[in-house]
Amino acid sequence: MTLLAFARGPAMQVATLVLIVGMFWRLSGILLLRRRVAHAAARNPFAVRLLGGAVTIVTRTIPRRTFWPRVGAGVALSYVFHIGLFIVLFGGAPHILVIYELFGVSWPDLPKGVVVVASGITLAALILLLVRRVTHPVLKMLSTPDDYISWVIVFLPVATGILLSGETIAGYGTLLALHILSIEALMIWLPFGKLMHVTLVFAGRFMLGHNFSRKGAAT
Amino acid sequence: MTAGDENLGEMLARRGFGRRGLLKFAFAMTASLALPPALAAAMAENLAAAKRQSVIWLSFQECTGCLETLLRTDSPTIAGLIFDFISLDYQEALMAASGSAAELTLRQAVAANKGKFLLAIDGSVPVADGGVYSLTGGKSNVSMLEEIAPDAAAILAIGTCAAYGGIPKAYPNPTGAVGVEDVITDKPIVNIPGCPPIPEVLSGVLVYFVSFGRLPDLDERKRPLAYFGTTIHDQCYRRPYYDQGKFAKSFDDEGARQGWCLFELGCKGPTTHNACASLKWNDGTSFPIESGHGCLGCSEPDFWDQEGGFYTSLAGGAGPGWRESGIAAAVGIAGGAAAAFAARRKTPEAQE
Amino acid sequence: MAARRVKNFDVFSVDGLVDALLMEVAALLENFLAHKRPGIIDLLGLPLSAACLAALEERLGEGEIAVLLRVSGESHIRETRFPGVWWTRHLDETGRVVALLIEVADVPEILRADPVDMQHSLRRLGEATNFSLARPAR
Repeated sequence: MTLLAFARGPAMQVATLVLIVGMFWRLSGILLLRRRVAHAAARNPFAVRLLGGAVTIVTRTIPRRTFWPRVGAGVALSYVFHIGLFIVLFGGAPHILVIYELFGVSWPDLPKGVVVVASGITLAALILLLVRRVTHPVLKMLSTPDDYISWVIVFLPVATGILLSGETIAGYGTLLALHILSIEALMIWLPFGKLMHVTLVFAGRFMLGHNFSRKGAAT
Repeated sequence: MTAGDENLGEMLARRGFGRRGLLKFAFAMTASLALPPALAAAMAENLAAAKRQSVIWLSFQECTGCLETLLRTDSPTIAGLIFDFISLDYQEALMAASGSAAELTLRQAVAANKGKFLLAIDGSVPVADGGVYSLTGGKSNVSMLEEIAPDAAAILAIGTCAAYGGIPKAYPNPTGAVGVEDVITDKPIVNIPGCPPIPEVLSGVLVYFVSFGRLPDLDERKRPLAYFGTTIHDQCYRRPYYDQGKFAKSFDDEGARQGWCLFELGCKGPTTHNACASLKWNDGTSFPIESGHGCLGCSEPDFWDQEGGFYTSLAGGAGPGWRESGIAAAVGIAGGAAAAFAARRKTPEAQE
Repeated sequence: MAARRVKNFDVFSVDGLVDALLMEVAALLENFLAHKRPGIIDLLGLPLSAACLAALEERLGEGEIAVLLRVSGESHIRETRFPGVWWTRHLDETGRVVALLIEVADVPEILRADPVDMQHSLRRLGEATNFSLARPAR
């Protein structure tokens, strides 16, 4: 079996199943944990609390002004990376094709030049984020192997994707196989490390907002 | 039935075909084989001095498409000259003899050309259950191959079946079909895959062998680099559309009618090595993509079993279905719930 | 390529690839003049667009000799407006181009009659006239 056939076949089966099992396990595990009981009466009805949770997801997207000097650079760089990745993932024709062949939905793609530029900016931002992590005195101390593994696991699909779209360094079949395998590695790692923030950041903000609303605080 | 004593130059001259014709043929062949044109003179000289090359053709588990494609060059093009340069000493579909006369023919052809003949094989070799699934005169293909191959100068595995197993090898492979290279490991083998292969490729390899006495340079899958060194994608005339992101989304839609790239309709051009996009088929008439259908990847191993089939693009794979995914989700929830409740038992202080 | 030693190039082109090929032709000419070695460029083996090929053919132009060779289909060989530089097109019986060459030589090899073929001529003339004109091959 060629590497590409392996990547598109058995590896895809395993990676997808691990991703699904892992995500549902972690999410249901977190949701079903015991929470501290709030003995005070709720200041807002349930519906308002739900709305509070939803609103907090949005309001926390930008840090408060007082924190900008401290976290502003990191947050901005992070957004550049995430938005660039979003443009490549949802605007690039081959990714729209993957989603179409899986779920039957599609939308118009962005011009290839735009996607190419976005991918370059994404890669640069990702590298700068690593540089920040290893040079920032506090971040350096806080970083764990999880952070670095997660970085590598995200770096590989971006880098192999750029090589694949440029069809350079190796044959198309090899590059495609490596790109798909790197994504499968990401799928397998995602539920178990920091990458789970793709769901937890929204879940966390929602719970925070719900709890604040319960106390009658602003969300 | 053996290669005669006169050389090719004399044989052609007898028919009024002089050295100029041979030199023109050599120029056509160096162009086809991507050799430097300065070699044409040497090629013509070598061909003139060479004797007719004995070729013994054994057909195994095949559909006869490879032989038909070689014969169906419907006009006597320059490449058809190859039939003058070889002596096809055994070929079951074409020769007059049958039955025990055919078996005698084969034995005599092998004996008379021992160590010098080219063994051409089309069709896969079934090895399951002692090879009973393909017999000629009661003899299994695998035993014929093992008996005759040692006396050959080299083996030409013609078509994807002979090269890699082809369609008989497709899941579930009930006959245990394999390619020739999985049976014979101690002889030079050239794989000429394709379903069917392009006729000019076979002529090119034969001419190279007759002219220079050795096989042309091969890639890691034993295919001649001159014809299989690039992918369809590298030579495709629709490549500008691929680069511009103009894809046909369904057959006969506007994009398809404009001749846009067929990547989204399952074209495997980027991962398929062959010369279809440059040499084309039927004497340069067309090839699948030019006719509006994506490349199937028929010169690559196991293309019949490729993930997702012919119409799933290279970007898409199959992955587990909805049912398996649902079961996986249920397993996840069960596991997470079990872990959560185990944790809850350990922290009894907060009562809900 | 001896590009730097070529002077007084009387062709002037904005197409870089055509220029490069013409410099290659010049180098082959120098090589022939120095060592009597013919040179050939296989145009089908180069990534030339149809427009590029047409520009190249037009730039080389037509000279004093045009030859029609009839074997296995037609072949058209003509000297360009640069003596010693020949433009050769080999077609098969269906008219398809099987080789497209620029040849640099005093005369393309394929135009010469081969001594072996001439031996056959001697023999056949002898048969045609009932005289034995054939001499043993030297």
